[in-house]
Amino acid sequence: MDKRVILAVAGAGKTTHIINSLSLDKRSIIVTYTENNYHHLRHRIIQKFGFIPETVTVLTYFTFLYSFCYKPFLHDKYRAKGINWNTPPGFTLRLRRSDKIFYIDSSGRLYSNRIAKLIEQETVLGHVQNRLSKYYDQLFVDEVQDFGGHDFNLLKSLCSAELDINYVGDFYQHTFDTSRDGNVNKSIYNDFEAYQAHFHDVGIIPDTTTLSHSYRCTPQVCAFITEYLGINIQSHKDTSSEVLFLTEAEQIREKFLCNETVKLFFQNHMKYPCLSQNWGKSKGQDHYTDVCIMLYPAAMKAYKDGDLRNLNASSRNKLYVACTRANNNVFFIEENQVKQFSC
Amino acid sequence: MKFIEKIKIFNFKRFDAFEYCAREKRNIFVGDNETGKSTILQALDIVLTGSRTRVETLGLESLFHRDAVTRFLAGDKDLNNLPILRIEIYLNEHANIALEGINNTDETVCHGLRLVCEPMDEYGEEIQAALKQDDPLFPYEYYSITFSTFAGRAYTQNRRFLNHIFIDSSLIGTEFATRHYTKSLYEANTNLVQRHQNKHAYRQNKAEFAGTSFAALNEAVGGVKFDIKNDSKSNLEQDLMITEGGIPISQMGKGNQCFIKTEFALQQREGAVPIDLILIEEPENHLSHVNMKRLINRIEESTQTQIMIATHSNSVCSRLDLHNASLLSPSSNRPISLHNLSDATADYFVKAPNNKILEFILSKSVVLVEGDAEFMLIDGMYGNLFSEKLEDSNIHVISVGGTSFKRYLDLAKLLGIKTAVIRDNDGNCQKKCIDNYADYTQENIQIFYDRDDENRTTLEKCLYQDNEDLCKELFEPGRRTLEALEYMLDNKADAALKLLEEGMDRLVTPSYISQALTWIRE
Repeated sequence: MDKRVILAVAGAGKTTHIINSLSLDKRSIIVTYTENNYHHLRHRIIQKFGFIPETVTVLTYFTFLYSFCYKPFLHDKYRAKGINWNTPPGFTLRLRRSDKIFYIDSSGRLYSNRIAKLIEQETVLGHVQNRLSKYYDQLFVDEVQDFGGHDFNLLKSLCSAELDINYVGDFYQHTFDTSRDGNVNKSIYNDFEAYQAHFHDVGIIPDTTTLSHSYRCTPQVCAFITEYLGINIQSHKDTSSEVLFLTEAEQIREKFLCNETVKLFFQNHMKYPCLSQNWGKSKGQDHYTDVCIMLYPAAMKAYKDGDLRNLNASSRNKLYVACTRANNNVFFIEENQVKQFSC
Repeated sequence: MKFIEKIKIFNFKRFDAFEYCAREKRNIFVGDNETGKSTILQALDIVLTGSRTRVETLGLESLFHRDAVTRFLAGDKDLNNLPILRIEIYLNEHANIALEGINNTDETVCHGLRLVCEPMDEYGEEIQAALKQDDPLFPYEYYSITFSTFAGRAYTQNRRFLNHIFIDSSLIGTEFATRHYTKSLYEANTNLVQRHQNKHAYRQNKAEFAGTSFAALNEAVGGVKFDIKNDSKSNLEQDLMITEGGIPISQMGKGNQCFIKTEFALQQREGAVPIDLILIEEPENHLSHVNMKRLINRIEESTQTQIMIATHSNSVCSRLDLHNASLLSPSSNRPISLHNLSDATADYFVKAPNNKILEFILSKSVVLVEGDAEFMLIDGMYGNLFSEKLEDSNIHVISVGGTSFKRYLDLAKLLGIKTAVIRDNDGNCQKKCIDNYADYTQENIQIFYDRDDENRTTLEKCLYQDNEDLCKELFEPGRRTLEALEYMLDNKADAALKLLEEGMDRLVTPSYISQALTWIRE
């Protein structure tokens, strides 16, 4: 049984890799974190087969948790009425993990970030594994880098199920912790080597070669990212492009007003009357030709010092996301230089 | 193949808690009236149909176990103790992820469907207020009706996990039953696409009809127009019917309907969704003996379909193999299955003509006798001894041919029926009455016979010896050449009849018979 976590780079074709692994004679279940990616995957599957085949199941992660793991085995016991997406109140962290109140709010909804813990606590993991083994031949989990907290533990536990497992993700695209709970797995995204070791320890082989080359970014952009952000990324492309820092006022003005080039801000892009987006939010976008990245003061300083790699992990990852949106050129502008245009 | 493995019923109609492990092919429910045979079939039908509306129409009040409601209202009326109606159907494993889960009272991972009717938590306060009133009514209004699989997924009547047909002879002939049945069969024999095509074609034909045939009319009337209806009450499904030889089945005799429906349901068409389960309620009600036999033969041949029959008929029950039968009794929550019965015994009842199997099974105390003479006299003897009738004491007498005693005793052993066997010793009571039944004699089974191997070898000899004067008076007057005893031995039935009619009040009961009657009456 093949169990691996494929750590890909941006634009390396993660979705394509999954779609190519699907066939009508293999029962596949694909779990993905975001609603966006769920629709994207369905779209790609229909493109491939003309419809969603009976053998292929696509679920968002929380549907998987709730309908696949929780409901068949714990519904009668907990009788939950849905999911509460808010952070659980602080006092609950002091409760015993066997206390129902830890998992379920006063109106009967399960705390989203603790469903995985509930599965473990109630020892129904075995049932979940059997269900996977029995009904599927391969499991794909996309956007693995979005799994934190208890969800990451569940991801590791699933590997004992008897089916092929392919986790796919881009470590450096981990930009926010959506399902953090207290200190559980708080620091797994701080160190790439340590992160891989987590998988290795439970028998999942980390694979950094299969999807190490980007189809989107040019060799120049890749070289820049590798050198300045300290993130290894290579390119499949044979065209070349530029990575430019713009300083001339006229150039800056022209780029700012250009409706072809998206301006990517660290935050608050809405303040600027131009085609814009925030770094983190641009994740998943792959149609930009050129991108123009605004550097906020601290990033600006790091850029000047050639020290971008030492930005805090979250900011660095967002910057990585921003850079890798470009199919062609990447421009940098100091954010202070465009302050004058803000509304 | 999909089939039911187990049924569990809680607080539904007659049952407060009931469990039945089903057999893969045939299941026969026998039992007295009001023991819940039909209730089981209805429970299955409700869950497999998955129609909320149906449950609402029947009314929770009529579905809830009466005692549970009374008990609740008589108790402290704690919300936590509100009874919950539950019907669970455990299905065989057939790799359907939508059905598999642990949400069942067995708490094991398996395939299954269930109906749960329970108070809705969100109405807790209202329920409490309602219950606080003087003489409160049971809060049925605050109960939810939920159909779900063991995986916790809700389902409706649009989703059939198990294809079933219910042939309810008590409803045969009603418009509802016929339509329901017709619809089931239509769905079983077509797929969704075909049904849509048919529906569409039907509408189109109506439109064409209205367009052409009404053209002149509509032109003449101008302004308003005549058209053909197309709504939930006028559509293909409403207009469907089944015919045989051009005659609509709803126009046929009830017996014939029952037969044709079963027959039709048993046919498994290629490519059609097979019918997994047929529920048949008392098929004997409307069937002649001949049709009954045909029906049984037809059911016997079917191999693909699970069948559950509730019946009062000896022939249905025994011909379909007693191994498949389960006995429902008013006192027990578990039907007693006959699947442990020895093959020879089951086989005997399949073949034996006119057996009294149900009469025996449904009795608590039985006296088995070996001939007509005993059968005729025993009620009178009982009356002489105890001044009451056998019937009133719930004791049945069954006359059994010589070799069949043990067949009945097999059943008595299995079902714990109190059975007194009255036998002649035929000159060797050790061999015939003691050794012969050594394996059977137990607390609920006793053999009674006379121990005198010389003079009292048959009933008649005993009767004669105990009632010499009476017998001489009745049987010797000059018109006969035979002596009384000889006459009695040669004309057993006639002699018994005469004793019954003219000498009963004076008849002394042979002691082994009075012992038997005393024991069975205890």
